[in-house]
Amino acid sequence: MTNELDRLAARTLKRRDFIRYAGVAAGAGVLAACKKAVKQGSGPTGGPSTARPPIGQEPGGLQVFDWSGYGGGEYYPGKEKQYLWADYQKATGDTPKFILFENDDAGYTKIAAGASYDVVHPCAYRFKDYVDLGVVQPWDTSLISNYSQLNPMLEQAGQIDGKQYFIVEDWGFIAPLYRADKVQPVEDSWSLLWDDRYSGRISWINTLEMLVIAGYYHQVPDPWTMTDDELAQMRDFLVSKKHLVSFLWDQSYDLWRAFKQGDVWIGYAWPDTVGYATAAGMDVVYMQPKEGRIWWSCGLGLFGSSANYYHAHEYANSWSTAKAALFLESYYYYGHANTRVDLSQLPPAIVKAFSLDDVTALQPPKAYVEAWISRRSVYSQYWSEVLAA
Amino acid sequence: MDAAASKGGLRLLRVFFALLAVFLYAPMVVLAIFSFNNGDVSFPLQGFTTRWYAQFFSNPLLIGALRRSAIVATLSSIIAVALGVLASFALIRRQFLGKSATSALFFSPLVIPYLVFGISLLLLFTVVDKLLTQVAGVYIGLGLHAVVIGHVVVSLPYVILTIMPLLERLSVSLEEAAHDLGAGTWQTFRRITLPLLLPALISSFLIAFTLSFDEFAIASFLAGTQPTWPVYLFAQLRVPSQLPQLVAVASVILLGSLVLVLFAEIVRRVVERRYGAEYSGRGIV
Amino acid sequence: MSDPAKKWKRREREATAGLLSGPLLWLLLFFVAPVVYVAVYSFGGIKLFPTDAGVVSLDSWRRFLGGGSVYMALFWKSIRISLTVSVIVVFLSYPVGYFLALCVKKRKYVLLLLIIAPFLTSYLLRVLAWKIILGDSGVINSFLFSVHLRSPDHPITWLLYSQFSVMLVLAYVWIPFVALPIFVSLDNLDRSVLEAASDLGASRWQTFWRVTFRLSLPGVVAAFVFVFVPTIGEFVTPLLVGGPSGYMYGNAIQDLFTKGLDWQTGSVLAMFLLLVVAGLMVLFGRFVQVRNVAT
Repeated sequence: MTNELDRLAARTLKRRDFIRYAGVAAGAGVLAACKKAVKQGSGPTGGPSTARPPIGQEPGGLQVFDWSGYGGGEYYPGKEKQYLWADYQKATGDTPKFILFENDDAGYTKIAAGASYDVVHPCAYRFKDYVDLGVVQPWDTSLISNYSQLNPMLEQAGQIDGKQYFIVEDWGFIAPLYRADKVQPVEDSWSLLWDDRYSGRISWINTLEMLVIAGYYHQVPDPWTMTDDELAQMRDFLVSKKHLVSFLWDQSYDLWRAFKQGDVWIGYAWPDTVGYATAAGMDVVYMQPKEGRIWWSCGLGLFGSSANYYHAHEYANSWSTAKAALFLESYYYYGHANTRVDLSQLPPAIVKAFSLDDVTALQPPKAYVEAWISRRSVYSQYWSEVLAA
Repeated sequence: MDAAASKGGLRLLRVFFALLAVFLYAPMVVLAIFSFNNGDVSFPLQGFTTRWYAQFFSNPLLIGALRRSAIVATLSSIIAVALGVLASFALIRRQFLGKSATSALFFSPLVIPYLVFGISLLLLFTVVDKLLTQVAGVYIGLGLHAVVIGHVVVSLPYVILTIMPLLERLSVSLEEAAHDLGAGTWQTFRRITLPLLLPALISSFLIAFTLSFDEFAIASFLAGTQPTWPVYLFAQLRVPSQLPQLVAVASVILLGSLVLVLFAEIVRRVVERRYGAEYSGRGIV
Repeated sequence: MSDPAKKWKRREREATAGLLSGPLLWLLLFFVAPVVYVAVYSFGGIKLFPTDAGVVSLDSWRRFLGGGSVYMALFWKSIRISLTVSVIVVFLSYPVGYFLALCVKKRKYVLLLLIIAPFLTSYLLRVLAWKIILGDSGVINSFLFSVHLRSPDHPITWLLYSQFSVMLVLAYVWIPFVALPIFVSLDNLDRSVLEAASDLGASRWQTFWRVTFRLSLPGVVAAFVFVFVPTIGEFVTPLLVGGPSGYMYGNAIQDLFTKGLDWQTGSVLAMFLLLVVAGLMVLFGRFVQVRNVAT
């Protein structure tokens, strides 16, 4: 895997401009999402700081419950550490320990079952669920020196009941990805994911999000709060199209490996797959479907039971740097909440993936925020039925 | 004339066996090829390298997982053998009420699918932890101790199945003679019974060890933050950077097992030359 | 009863209790209790999560056993796959056991070891190897491309991520395991019986079918059960090579517990599997004595 940074094309675009635009767009999207979310009071407030031992007396060995490739070196050995937590290690002398979850659902289930760590990295549509579980405590943003560099609009998504339970760090899109040399879509639509012409060359994600995508395709009024009838329809639809799918992916790299081997030409994809494909010289298109893309954001949460309070804040600080932003943007093609990233040159592929030349990219109808699903357990049931059928 | 097979039948069986051996080893050969591939474990091949072999020795996560599996397997096997000896003695040498029910209980872990058992243990530990947290503020959590407990349960029937036959064959009169000569119960056990039981103890230990070392289903639910070797493998299968090293490990193990087979054949030849064909046919290897 | 006799009887009972207490306690605590717990959960008696009903009812069971349950259909699909795999495995393993036990004089244990040796390598890695062989651009397809039997745009796609791949890999894993009890039962056969049969004028085929096979039947049945029972609840192989159509009952249980957060339905499915397997074992127990298997 070659060094992305060494191959940046000469394209002058002020990073700051993009963040400003994206921030506005993101803010609008986030506020819209907040309107949907019901605010309830819950969660521990975290003990008074006077009861906390100073950082020197904390046990260390910070346990980070996260996706693979976010520090453990699974995808970019050496680089993940260098950009994401080398600062943390310098500040505390501690080496974090990474415990991986298969996906967000699996992570949440484990914690709901009683597992406990120091830091967790779920995505925004789950923030409220974690708070409702009562396992996370708010951050003290005054302890995070880089917090002021983070986009306040994005950080608002991490606030529940006015308390900063999650530090939003990364964000990205969800859209169909396809190989331009093998696939000619009939139109720019999510329908490519069930195009009969490409049977066996398609990959879906292995989560209930597929029900939501089907909802957008069928123009359901609100795919994030579907009725049982609508869910049943989406389920039957997906079951009828399942035979076109080669396999369902849990981790993004599974999708990339299938693309790389030429087994799969079309996929429900996050931007990092675009990154891998472009670095390998593949001709791929990250579609802007007519029904709209979806955009997600994820953030760091702090466990109420954590004994590494100050260590965790240092870790969040390390994640909030411009350096971390640079890494995520260049290697995974994810956005980052840091507004001070000094990146004036970006490969054209990133510009396209982020729709940087289009200010309305994060707003409907171009993109919809990945919202909290109040009836998630019901969606989950229907999704299991899609899998089992 | 050979009553078991005709000449044609023999040839057919030989061919079948050879084909099956190829079928069994083909994936191993594929693994071995990729262990030298200078790239990810997928086509196309990208040149020759031996760096994966060098790397996995110094890979702390990998070595850690192997070490943890070895510890778990050793511990659970020792406990299983100890409990199995006790249970075998009770079942073979003693009469008591409800013997068949107890016997059924001891063998019932054979019946449960490991997936179900792993989940049930997860449930138990979750509930116990919730109780302990509320009552005493203490949290044990999952981890290697849970895996050991689970592995002891599933190994126990195999241990008992291995020890029982040998124990049955051991003549009680030997122990009675020792008693008559004045030996206490513990002495008799230690100096007469135990040494005679040793082959069964060793085989049952090996069976329990092998079972535990490669056991995935139960460990996947209970290992917590300390993955055992199969749990670690499963997680790494989906991720690019560690995979070639694991393939290198697999190739090393394959080589080791082939050496074992070769060694067995050499021993057989040596024994045959020394003691004649009747001895080498059974029992030595 | 005289005093010394009473004392002796009591000491005997204490000795038995002493022997049994360890293993019995372990199993009661760590086997019976968890299983009972799952059973209770399946009836809704426990509330671990916010989404649990927490009310004892037959609802979950009714939904599962009543008509139209997706999971019940999945269960029968898994039975079908397991039956197919078991039959194939026993069918393929028998000649191996036969060959080694009755036709090989000198090298039988070495060859047996050769068959079993791949087991020392982790099962997961061997499944990975099959993924490489069966994939769209794997060994088989690449070979077909190179000899122009198929064009690179049309690989054989059903080799991987299909019910076929699940059955193939399961068969691959089980054949050596199953050859062992068949080998043992055939190896223990008294050769003179075979000689007697042929002396009486029976052809080799008649000898095999009416003598050898009949005598080895307990071993064959044990081998069949040996592979059939665990395969019904199999979830790792379908997870790795099954794809969307190779999804099995065990996967549903695992997903419900690890991703779906519907532990109550998961418990129902798990208990059902346990009861079916226990029932099967009791049935087969009538045919195979535990003692025979042990010796």
